[in-house]
Amino acid sequence: MGFKLLVSLLHVGQVSAGMFSDFITMLTPPEDISTYGHKIMFLFNYITVMNVFYFTLVCIGLFGFSYLYSAKRNKTPEYTYGNRKKQLKVTLIIGLAVFCTVDSVITVTANNDLVNTFWKFPESDDPETIKVQVLAQQWMWHFRLAGNDKVFNTDDDIVTANHLHLPIGKKIVFQLTSKDVIHSFFLPNARVKIDAMPGRISRIWVEFTKSGDFEIACAEMCGTHHYLMKAKMTLYDPDDFQYWESEAAKFAYQENDTGTVDSYWGWKWESNR
Amino acid sequence: MKVLVHAHDAPNTFLSKYIISYDHKVIAKQFLWLGMVFLAIGGLMAMLIRWTLANPGVPMPFFGHLLFPNSGGVVPPDSYAMLFTEHGTIMIFWAITPILIGAFGNLLIPLQIGARDMIFPTLNMLSFHFTFVSGVIMLLALCTPLGGAAGGWTAYPTLSLNLGSPGAGQTLWAIAIFLFGISSTMGAINYITTVICLRAPGMGYFDMPLAVWGLLLTAILNAIFVPVLGAGGLLLVFDRVFETQYFLAGAAATSGTGDPILFQHVFWIFGHPEVYILILPAWGIVSDLLSFFSRKPAFGYKATALSMCAITVLSTLVYGHHMFTTQMSPLLTQSFMTLTMTISIPSAIFFANWLGTLYKGSIRFTSPMLFSLGVVFVFGLGGLTGLYLGTTTTDFYLHDTYFVVGHFHYTMAASVFLAGFGAIYFWWPKMYGTMLNERLAKAHFWATILPLNGVFMGMMMMGYAGMHRRLYNPFIYDFLKKLIPMNNFVTTCAILMGFAQIFFITNLIWTYFKGEQASDNPWEVGTLEWTTPSPVPHYNFKSIPIVKCGPHELGNPKLTTGRDFQYQTEELVEV
Ligand SMILES: [Cu+2]
Repeated sequence: MGFKLLVSLLHVGQVSAGMFSDFITMLTPPEDISTYGHKIMFLFNYITVMNVFYFTLVCIGLFGFSYLYSAKRNKTPEYTYGNRKKQLKVTLIIGLAVFCTVDSVITVTANNDLVNTFWKFPESDDPETIKVQVLAQQWMWHFRLAGNDKVFNTDDDIVTANHLHLPIGKKIVFQLTSKDVIHSFFLPNARVKIDAMPGRISRIWVEFTKSGDFEIACAEMCGTHHYLMKAKMTLYDPDDFQYWESEAAKFAYQENDTGTVDSYWGWKWESNR
Repeated sequence: MKVLVHAHDAPNTFLSKYIISYDHKVIAKQFLWLGMVFLAIGGLMAMLIRWTLANPGVPMPFFGHLLFPNSGGVVPPDSYAMLFTEHGTIMIFWAITPILIGAFGNLLIPLQIGARDMIFPTLNMLSFHFTFVSGVIMLLALCTPLGGAAGGWTAYPTLSLNLGSPGAGQTLWAIAIFLFGISSTMGAINYITTVICLRAPGMGYFDMPLAVWGLLLTAILNAIFVPVLGAGGLLLVFDRVFETQYFLAGAAATSGTGDPILFQHVFWIFGHPEVYILILPAWGIVSDLLSFFSRKPAFGYKATALSMCAITVLSTLVYGHHMFTTQMSPLLTQSFMTLTMTISIPSAIFFANWLGTLYKGSIRFTSPMLFSLGVVFVFGLGGLTGLYLGTTTTDFYLHDTYFVVGHFHYTMAASVFLAGFGAIYFWWPKMYGTMLNERLAKAHFWATILPLNGVFMGMMMMGYAGMHRRLYNPFIYDFLKKLIPMNNFVTTCAILMGFAQIFFITNLIWTYFKGEQASDNPWEVGTLEWTTPSPVPHYNFKSIPIVKCGPHELGNPKLTTGRDFQYQTEELVEV
């Protein structure tokens, strides 16, 4: 009898532990395959720890005081007028404590990450970087690689729609614009997004660490079929990428419709500001 | 200078009493009912949105076939875009604003500062009529051939220009927003002037209840920033109707001088203060209610009032954090991030004061108090989660995901509506002379706040898992497929929260037929409105009261009147 109970209890424990781990898996962000995604996650976790700490304090105050000082338990409230100086001090100290432990830390960290990582673009003449031009439109993504001559908007450009091919282990620089409305180029697996805006060229760089197929999303509402604006991203080992690139280049001349102006949507690569 | 107002007699016809009334109390009720009707409409839209997200392609029971007969009861993608656009717009401009600012601004400002009416009664009446007309235009836009606006409540060009949204719906949306802006500006001028000029003798700024502080600061922000929104809306109309190109760029542009990002700047210069426009009255009301029902003075009254002022100023300097992904100049990005972070100092002061008010109080858990405590809880969550979005790098990941949706619903929807309901339960006796049923009110509170956290916490979790916003069917994406159960959970909670409002409606009906008569001061509070009979008579005060002490004189041990509080008209009993 007791044994059976123990077994069934263990079973319940197992099932609920399983459910819990399913739950955690469900709420885990997509796999991070970038060299810098961990910096964003670090900051996210730091803020979470701080938030849990301060929100616990709020809850202790909220529920604790509600329990301790309910009218039933505490008949006479403490009259607090007259010590306003003290009150001002208490509140200022709390305000400053929050600012020093949370805000200033995350501001400084985020700022360092921006300056040293996210805004630190490789030199535009660095031969090791891969350059990609992205044109967003309702509701698809166009990608353009410069091809053999390394010059954009020429006949040998490798142009793909809704499918981006890139190598891992190399810095990739994107320049983006949009044909019609504002879209947003979202790489969930790299934790970053950047808007693609008509009339402007925005830029972002990323370096991937894992080959395979991944998804690119449009994150900015861009019309009725916004939800269908997804692209596939295939990441190769550098050697495989070279092979893919040479194969694609062979077809580039045939596939580029050199007769229409529309197929020359690219632009002269803009150097770093 | 003597200000002469109050030239109107007590109205006696239905029209002058209820429709074109100059009386601030009637206008407050008009705003309240308008707000509640739109709240119901916006809420039903939310249900349709949630249903679609949890069950893409499945017809919604009952409402589905009624509203979308052509698609067999399934919400089609274009209607889905209209739904979330109108849900946002309606909730912000025609539900929260009328209830918190229109209704309680009108009711409380004159009553709590000891005035007989607003200083500009005609402007006040026009303000309501403009809101009403603009709201009707908003709804009529849904009946145009191509349907209503569908570019999100932010209406970013170029999606909101003819290129992205053909049809009259979006134009009418911009016109409605413009008219609403006129209404808000009129209201704001009225509120500010009334607070400055009509305070009863003896009432200094630091003798005003914090609710009036909140409403005053809201009015100041409204007066400065709503015209900016109006200008943006008007330029949008120009672009759409007269073919100017303020916001047009890209392949369709011919002038080459337009820029859609310009609109984002204009929109968020208004849009960020708007968050505070909505929340400041709620903060003020909650600060007062916490003190009233803890039976002790508000902890750090002056610090609270001053931090509200500080937040008001700071709120005008941080709007750029909505635009980090548009790649502003590095200097702007860094400045906006840093300025955003400073807001947490006054916010922390706030929380410290709220908890300090509870500390060693003698707390009465009435329904308004429960709602106020609820606000402290949900605003805590909403405020803290803002940190992730003010931080540029984490915003790169979370921007435009459900994390943002959960966050701003905690701050703008949950906090504001909980405070609004608390205020309704608290001041109902002054409006209608009856008490709402406490038991139903408490049931309403618990039935609302539990699923509420399920909804908005669930949304934030989905956002963290990468689910982005405004997707008709998120499960097109492989990496979001695992979130179907979570979406089901959130939708279930949302439906439960919707049904919880039946307690509120039942309460209104029950009180209308069977509600007990309210005494003049049922909550035992000393601010000026409680010195008048319930409901408040025409012209409020028999004679203008003379104020002798602050609004939170509760629990003074030296009181000899047999009450544990003193009215603001009584000489302060020194300890
Ligand atoms: Cu898009």
